[in-house]
Amino acid sequence: MITIKNLHASVEGKEILRGINLEVKAGEVHAIMGPNGSGKSTLSNVLAGREDYEVTAGEVIFNGKNLLELSPEDRAREGLFLAFQYPVEIPGVSNINFLKTALNEIRAYHGKNEITAKDFLALVKEKQKLVELDGKLANRSVNEGFSGGEKKRNEIFQMAMLEPTLSILDETDSGLDIDALKIVANGVNTLKNKNNAYIVITHYQRLLDYIVPDFVHILYNGKIVQSGGKELALELEAKGYDEIKKQF
Amino acid sequence: MILEKTQTHQRVIEQISVLNAKVDFMNDTALSNALTYLEEKGIPNNKNEEYKYCNIDSILKTDFKNIQQQFNTVSTINNLRLNDCLTLVVVNGNFSEKLSDKLVLKGVKLFSFNSLENSGKQLLTAAAKSNSDSFIALNTAFSGIGFHLKILKNEQTQIPIQILYINSASAESFVNPRNIIELEENSSATIIEHYINIGTHKVFTNFVSEKYLAQNSNLKSYTLQNETSLGYGVYTNQVKVNKHANYQNTTVTLSGRLVRNNHQVILSEDNCEASLFGLFKTSNNQLVDNHTLIDHQKPNCQSNELYKGIIGDKSTGVFNGKIFVRKDAQKTNAYQSSKNVLLSDEGCINTKPQLEIFADDVKCSHGTSTGKIDENALFYLNARGLGKESAKKLLLSAFANEVIDKIEVDSLKEIIESQII
Amino acid sequence: MSNEIIQEHINKDYEWGFITNVESETFAPGLNENVIGALSKKKNEPEWMLEFRLKAFRHWQTLSQPSHWANFPYPKVDFQATSYYSAPKKKPELKSLDDVDPEIRKTFEKLGISLEEQKRLSGVKSNIAVDAVFDSVSVKTTFRETLSEKGIIFCSFSEAIQEHPELIKKYMGMVVPYTDNFYAALNAAVFSDGSFCYIPKGVRCPMELSTYFRINTGGTGQFERTLIVADENSYVSYLEGCTAPQRDENQLHAAVVEIIAYKNAEVKYSTVQNWYPGDKNGKGGVYNFVTKRGLCIEDNSKISWTQVETGSAITWKYPSVILKGNNSVGEFYSVAVTNNYQEADTGTKMIHIGKNTRSTIISKGISAGFSNNSYRGLVQMRKGATNARNFSQCDSLLMGDKCGAHTFPYIEIKDKTAVVEHEATTSKIGEDQLFYCKQRGIDTEKAIALIVNGYCKEILNKLPMEFAVEAQKLLAVSLEGSVG
Repeated sequence: MITIKNLHASVEGKEILRGINLEVKAGEVHAIMGPNGSGKSTLSNVLAGREDYEVTAGEVIFNGKNLLELSPEDRAREGLFLAFQYPVEIPGVSNINFLKTALNEIRAYHGKNEITAKDFLALVKEKQKLVELDGKLANRSVNEGFSGGEKKRNEIFQMAMLEPTLSILDETDSGLDIDALKIVANGVNTLKNKNNAYIVITHYQRLLDYIVPDFVHILYNGKIVQSGGKELALELEAKGYDEIKKQF
Repeated sequence: MILEKTQTHQRVIEQISVLNAKVDFMNDTALSNALTYLEEKGIPNNKNEEYKYCNIDSILKTDFKNIQQQFNTVSTINNLRLNDCLTLVVVNGNFSEKLSDKLVLKGVKLFSFNSLENSGKQLLTAAAKSNSDSFIALNTAFSGIGFHLKILKNEQTQIPIQILYINSASAESFVNPRNIIELEENSSATIIEHYINIGTHKVFTNFVSEKYLAQNSNLKSYTLQNETSLGYGVYTNQVKVNKHANYQNTTVTLSGRLVRNNHQVILSEDNCEASLFGLFKTSNNQLVDNHTLIDHQKPNCQSNELYKGIIGDKSTGVFNGKIFVRKDAQKTNAYQSSKNVLLSDEGCINTKPQLEIFADDVKCSHGTSTGKIDENALFYLNARGLGKESAKKLLLSAFANEVIDKIEVDSLKEIIESQII
Repeated sequence: MSNEIIQEHINKDYEWGFITNVESETFAPGLNENVIGALSKKKNEPEWMLEFRLKAFRHWQTLSQPSHWANFPYPKVDFQATSYYSAPKKKPELKSLDDVDPEIRKTFEKLGISLEEQKRLSGVKSNIAVDAVFDSVSVKTTFRETLSEKGIIFCSFSEAIQEHPELIKKYMGMVVPYTDNFYAALNAAVFSDGSFCYIPKGVRCPMELSTYFRINTGGTGQFERTLIVADENSYVSYLEGCTAPQRDENQLHAAVVEIIAYKNAEVKYSTVQNWYPGDKNGKGGVYNFVTKRGLCIEDNSKISWTQVETGSAITWKYPSVILKGNNSVGEFYSVAVTNNYQEADTGTKMIHIGKNTRSTIISKGISAGFSNNSYRGLVQMRKGATNARNFSQCDSLLMGDKCGAHTFPYIEIKDKTAVVEHEATTSKIGEDQLFYCKQRGIDTEKAIALIVNGYCKEILNKLPMEFAVEAQKLLAVSLEGSVG
């Protein structure tokens, strides 16, 4: 699904990613863990196409296309979804209107007709249940006045609506209490199937109790320094990041 | 807009020039610019947008019909001295070396306008251009003998310097005090400019100060205006702030029949900062007009303004705060707030907070509110046994404290606290 | 990033820039007492009307043309080069819809204004009575019969002069006297037509009333007058729309709108102004110098202005409310968008005279391109306006680094019981917001439209539905090619 080769990227001239290699296949869940400042968020932002980040070397092939050549919106339309660490507030724009616009843009890209209002509403209803999102939130402005947990659930709700092939969850667990964490994880687990894939970026192991990864990678200093199965996460939790820092 | 010019300026010039010798410390270009400007623009009246609520032309016509320039001599200032400061004294518009303390502070230099260094001459009229405003022009043409106070490079002056402006007239008079305050690179100072009137007749003070803050310098400046009902004045501060420098001013107006403050701060390089705070309490038929301009010329500068007014009797308060954000001044952060309480049926408050923004990556906001004393709070205090008057005082001092708390010189703070409410 | 994005997008042309080929009767350019006489005669006006015009004209001659207003100098208008009357040639009297020149009908249809009563505006099922003003004259008022059953008078100003002289004499100039300002004086002297509306006591107008203004002929000025009188306990919602063809030279539009609301009456006045704004380089466009004012003359009356301003090269416009009656309410909701070289200086005046009067001002300015957008407002609390309250909020949104946003609020308070609050902010569209939209598959252009519409939602919500939809589209179109 996505192949990242020797990816280097910098922000304001400072190199953050120093040669990332990663392959994710359909049906897989990959967890990327690492201490603060290791480049986790940079990786997700680079993949989503944020303009502040400059890719200095490497390539990314996504579903057979050169991802780095695509605009952020085309990446989204190709099926890449980023669940933001800090979801953005857009005052005055209702969640529903926002999603309808997004969905129709993606459909148009794939040559499909606009979804009818009826079908759309049915879809909203169905997917809302998944993350136990209050119906009222759908009519409120995008993320405006949402609690931290509501914002994160809203991200998963949007993911459910847009049905991406590759979802990147950027520290979706940060700031969530255990109940909200379970809801989010449950949403992801329900949406998971053999045709899509997930990259779960996290600082802590606890999310991985609920979203069980097939692979765990440890990112440090802009590089993946260790890869393994889900047990690697537990190992890391036990040892702490200091051990990693010492090691590399 | 067509400004109707009146002839007031000619009469004023005639009357004040009788006693004034030619100001030979001003260069001829500045002098002739000043006079040409005055001839062209005259004294502003309320048709001039900047003086819409402050018709000085009309005040000069009615209250200064016959300017005679007669003054009393002032021989002592003992009770006016702030005890934790060094004091410089300006009497009736001219610097008095005799009454002033010797500036024994390390790294502080003082030059009378009569013995200016070349660098001082360069600064004179550099920030306060004689052809930018009628009152600056008038001051330039008839400037009193002021001084250039200079804080040398890398000097952190610990003791505040009080500059006391004493007016004492025995007939209607008009004075033009002026100074230059310069902070060299990486220096800091605290300065208090304190205006009082001890005479028996009306005095119009047309004050001009040019303040220059070099790179990385830090000036805390305080203005206390307390000129009684015989005091009238236009107080102009032209401040130029350089890279990484920080200017802070707190202006408190306790009395004065007419007080017009023109406070202009130019943030001329990146990463500088200015804070302007003000508090005025008006009564009787006072007119207090605070005009501020913060000119953001370069990126990454910050400004912060808070003005509070308490308006009583038949008095009028004005706040006109302008924030200019020039094209280059990206990442500007400017905040302005004006809050007022109107206490009487006859009082009046006019505010005009103004934003003019030509850069897009900025955060600017202003807010202004005017209201009466919070009836609920008043009632609450009454219910707890406080009398009407003391409850009101308590609430007003709470209102004023937000500004008073910015004052870091204890003796000054005490004077203000004891007199404001 | 802003600049590149701005450059990336292509400007969309003004959609309403077509010219209608209709034979019109146009006065030779120039203005003097004879022209006014001829104009008055042409319209078969009574003597008192001519006198009113001449008085105004003589006063106007004593005034000098405002050469600039605050930040914005503009080339002087040559009033002798403007023609003061242009009317489609037509039969002397219009008896039915069939009498309207088919070319004009086509024009209005292009604009989405159906002159046929059966067809509803823009095909949306709605109830809107339309008075369409083409160049200087009113061509057709729809739904008149339905309205007159309720005693509502809704007709062109010319007809009102003929048919309801007592009302016109009583109310014309009551709120905006011809001495008010330069352009109000000019309008009083040369206005050619407009709309008149009277809602009798106790009547709630059953449908939206609407005037659609269209300048067509080149080199003409449009000077229309609108007068709305809402008698006790009545209600009316009034809409105004404006477009003009694309022309290189500037065209002048100097209208006067007066509203009078009696006891318990409410008038809602909505405008979607889309005069030709000039081209990308600032050539051409309409000068829109308008005087709009409402008078809450008696207790508990309410006047509400809502405007979406996207057009005109220069706009000076300050729809105001004089709150004379106790408990009266004034509202001003505004969205002003400027792009390219447009200049808008708009705002409101709320004059509080009566007790417990309330006013609300919400102004949203959006500047793009090389444009300047100013809010200029006055809130005045006169002595005796006991417990009067005002709340103002002025927000500016900047797109690109070559435009300006300015705020000039004047607040004058002479009553100690009055409470006034004013807030203003300036910001730009957040890059974070744009990126978030893009990550969901929404392109920049659509994202801007989404964000801007969200930003203006408070105002758009105040518009009648049909207008809100039109206004939303207009906002998106006006900002195309300007985003960042």
